[in-house]
Amino acid sequence: MQGLTLSQIQLRLIASIFERGAEAASRALTQWLGRTVHLKISDVDQADITEVAGLLGPEDATVAVCAMSFAGQLEGQLLLVFSDAVGLSLVDLLLQQKPGTSTQWSELERSGACETANIVGCAYLNALSVHLPGNSATDTLIPSPPEFRHEFAASLLEFAVMEQASVMDRVLLVKSRFQAEGADLDWALLFVPTPDSLRTLAQIAP
Amino acid sequence: MPQSSNANLAPPELFVPMGKWAVAQAPTLIRTLLGSCVGVVLYDRNAKVGGVAHIVLPDSRGDTALPGKYADTAIPAMIADIDRQTGRRSMARLTATIAGGASMFQTSTPSLNIGKQNNEAVERILNQLGIQIVGRDLGGDAGRRLTLDTNSGNVSIRIPGGPDHEI
Repeated sequence: MQGLTLSQIQLRLIASIFERGAEAASRALTQWLGRTVHLKISDVDQADITEVAGLLGPEDATVAVCAMSFAGQLEGQLLLVFSDAVGLSLVDLLLQQKPGTSTQWSELERSGACETANIVGCAYLNALSVHLPGNSATDTLIPSPPEFRHEFAASLLEFAVMEQASVMDRVLLVKSRFQAEGADLDWALLFVPTPDSLRTLAQIAP
Repeated sequence: MPQSSNANLAPPELFVPMGKWAVAQAPTLIRTLLGSCVGVVLYDRNAKVGGVAHIVLPDSRGDTALPGKYADTAIPAMIADIDRQTGRRSMARLTATIAGGASMFQTSTPSLNIGKQNNEAVERILNQLGIQIVGRDLGGDAGRRLTLDTNSGNVSIRIPGGPDHEI
């Protein structure tokens, strides 16, 4: 099952829609963290399922992830992913603690990460729903509460693309990277549509 | 007597991506990372040849584009590869170990929860082929790193943040 392959023009158009989501998420995150953070769309990737495992770096690296599903005109998974060190630094920043204070993912640290994911995810999805062509003012993308996990990067990616992989051999995911005051943050926001939503995106960008 | 400088070299490693399989002879480590997919290990102890398949779905329904993706096509294809490596029909000597099939997040939609179907399909096919299943590590909610040591036939599993354990 080769599934749906989008043209470069379609991918660029989809990326431009997702840029609006990234801009909104950047503003929300800047307000939340109290420092300028810029979220930029790095890739709208279409990859064979056999190539997915390495898209977040070393396959067996352990990453922290806050996962949300979303429903509405588009459905799928939204995942905020960071390395342990970077995620714990985020928590220190949120709690206004000295860097290095948080050393493990206890309930407080997980809660801080999930709240960040909630803010980023809602801003991102709200902006997407506004800028999706054909959407009415009442159409929204509704996220589930974030769920925190520690996972192998490749296992996480397998989970994320599983629904697409169940009906096609090539999968699409949108990967956004974060920059804070000029420096790249080792975070990623992954948007992975369901197969039906991928078809919807293809129709939006014919 | 001094050991050869090769004695301390780590064995070569093969990584098996989603929807593929790999077969190798000793001394090789074959590794894969699993979520809701199922990893199937087949091993011929006499020949010290083994393979790992990373299976995504139970049934190919005639799709031949990516045979490693499906339980009903990946397992026979891996056995054929093992036969080529050993130069004989290996099926009667093969043992199997299976792992994976996790339900990783509560946010998963029911259609994503296919780990159980994968497990059942793999067990049924191995039973039909008369291949004994000597180890299982299935279900749960965490990803797994599976490693086959083709020298010993040992299969080890690691979950995130945990140590390796043999099954």
